[in-house]
Amino acid sequence: MPEPRLISSYLDVLAAQLPASIVEELGDGLAETHRSYLRQGLAPDLAARSAVAEFGDPELIVAGFARVNPARRAARRLLVVGPAVGACWVAALVTSRAWAVPLPARMLAGLVLAAVIALLATSALGTRYRLAARTGAMGLFGIIALDASLIAGVPLAGVPLTWVLGLAMAASAARISYAARALRPALAR
Amino acid sequence: MRAEELKGHLDAMLLAALEGGPQHGYAVIEALRQSTGGRLDLPTGTIYPALHRLEQAGLITGSWSVVGGRRRREYRLTPAGDRALSGRRADWRDFSAMVTAALEGGPCPNPA
Repeated sequence: MPEPRLISSYLDVLAAQLPASIVEELGDGLAETHRSYLRQGLAPDLAARSAVAEFGDPELIVAGFARVNPARRAARRLLVVGPAVGACWVAALVTSRAWAVPLPARMLAGLVLAAVIALLATSALGTRYRLAARTGAMGLFGIIALDASLIAGVPLAGVPLTWVLGLAMAASAARISYAARALRPALAR
Repeated sequence: MRAEELKGHLDAMLLAALEGGPQHGYAVIEALRQSTGGRLDLPTGTIYPALHRLEQAGLITGSWSVVGGRRRREYRLTPAGDRALSGRRADWRDFSAMVTAALEGGPCPNPA
């Protein structure tokens, strides 16, 4: 039996904002709801209207999925722990007299950090699923690149290894590990 | 019963609906409607984000199957979900006993 136009239009609204796998799952649920009204004896069009009404406002569903977006959740967590990791690095670089690191490298790191924070904040505050997912994934890539550069670059620049620097490097390594694990579900959607 | 009144309890109700075995989203809401005597008044579509949240928390796990030529996602409780459901049930019994005692008088039973 072909899908009623009302149901396909409803799914089109969802498909414009949600990943295909989620829309497929919702489509199955909506088809089941429609079938249950048909079994109760409703005409196909009335059954479709009843099913769509029972499923609810598509914007509510999209907003619900935006809240559980894995990339958005990871972005929020990284923004929460970010100041602590940053404080470790500031302490490490000050105590290690890291102004030996060339100015262009410091400026580049600052620019990358600002871009990563902007991406993560856009994802964390976003109510649009796709935008939150894309900016979150880019922010996760960015944080991995930034932390990896810091871990590899600071010792290469001749900054002496202290326990504070070791702590900052361990914090960055932990953040890389978390971001890498969060990337898989973030990219899967 | 509307969504705002369910706040904080929906997760436990979804876990309870899955206690009997794997269910797809529509079957979960039907199970909830049956178990609540039809008093649950939630838009069906809003159940799905809640199921995905529980899956991310590791309390349920989802898998795809093909039914009647259509792909269907089914959910089942994980061992962590089973433990969480037991904990929520115990918390709810304590909470409801306390509120009942406060609203209707009488002794409040000590928590187990």
